[in-house]
Amino acid sequence: MSDIGVIRTVSFDLGPLHIVFNPLTVIMTWIVIAVILILFIWFSRKRERIPGRRQAAVEMIIEMFDDLVAETIGKDHRRYLPLVLTIFIFVLFSNWTGVIPLLQEPTKDLNTPLGLALVVFLVTHFSGVKYNGIFKYLKSFFEPIAVLFPINVVGELGKFVALFFRLFGNIFGGSVIIWVAYTMLMPSWWTRWIMLALGPFMAAFFGLFVGLIQAFVFMMLSMTYIAVAKNQ
Amino acid sequence: MNWIEIITMLSAGIAMGLGAIGSGIGEGYAAGKAVEAASRQPGVSDKIMKTMLIGQAVAESTGIYSLVVALLLLFAAPKDVGLVKAMALLGAGFAMGFGAIGPGLGEGYAAGKGVEGIGRSPHEEGNVFRVMLIGQAVSESTGIYSLVVALLLIFVV
Repeated sequence: MSDIGVIRTVSFDLGPLHIVFNPLTVIMTWIVIAVILILFIWFSRKRERIPGRRQAAVEMIIEMFDDLVAETIGKDHRRYLPLVLTIFIFVLFSNWTGVIPLLQEPTKDLNTPLGLALVVFLVTHFSGVKYNGIFKYLKSFFEPIAVLFPINVVGELGKFVALFFRLFGNIFGGSVIIWVAYTMLMPSWWTRWIMLALGPFMAAFFGLFVGLIQAFVFMMLSMTYIAVAKNQ
Repeated sequence: MNWIEIITMLSAGIAMGLGAIGSGIGEGYAAGKAVEAASRQPGVSDKIMKTMLIGQAVAESTGIYSLVVALLLLFAAPKDVGLVKAMALLGAGFAMGFGAIGPGLGEGYAAGKGVEGIGRSPHEEGNVFRVMLIGQAVSESTGIYSLVVALLLIFVV
């Protein structure tokens, strides 16, 4: 049971930089991106004024998200709709990859949620400055009194640390639980039959259900953080 | 098996055992409030269900951090170290275990109250939901501090 912390990485030197990456995560991310691209190009093909069944279904989903973003972000919500929807679809498909044998969730690698949270962090503070002006926005860190400035900064950073650790921890924890059950039940012949029933159930719960909930939580929290910074 | 591995295992047990308390009680509180609200307003039980699930998923995050720390202690912590490092590993377990109780309870309480509020005024769902999420995210910050300290104790000290 000692191969759980092992991550196979490839590293090379590029001038003064020492670059380390995990080839499996990169490949899986590209697979997810390819699936999303193909699916949505197929969805958006042959659009017509009177929608067919496929187009109507996709339009309904987009409209639902449009309402949700409008309700949370308020003014100029169309500017943030593509980002929010992209985050949701990417995280959802990433979480669901683990259900397919031999594939691995890109979100199981800490770097993927970290990258997404970094994007949300930049967008949040950029829109905070853009909609409130830099002085008013900076002043909000000195409230209610100036002494609380360090606590406000730590709390602000903590929000984003929590954002990516929650996604990573849930997906990683789920896959570890499945892996532990597998290694404990597979060796002897009579417990393999338990795995036959338990395996699909665990994949459905930790992969599909938790994956959907976590994708939704990630999207809602990113959107809420942006809304709070923007509408101060 | 040397004594440092024994300390690491003890630490992992403390981290996960204590860390499960807060999230468990908090999520149970949210579920109880959801049952109450659904029995009062059966018409909006799908909204209540959605809020309950999201609130519980957020309240569970400190339990997940405990799981991550316990697994790191079991499988990724250094083995051949001195007394100071061994005590640091034990301290990491205590930090994450105790630190997970408060946020788990608090976030579960917020989730329960959010569900109750939606049961009382279903038309204000968006507002209640947003306030609940922001409050939970803020009350989780102490859990994040515990996680950061535990990771520092495992990998840096």
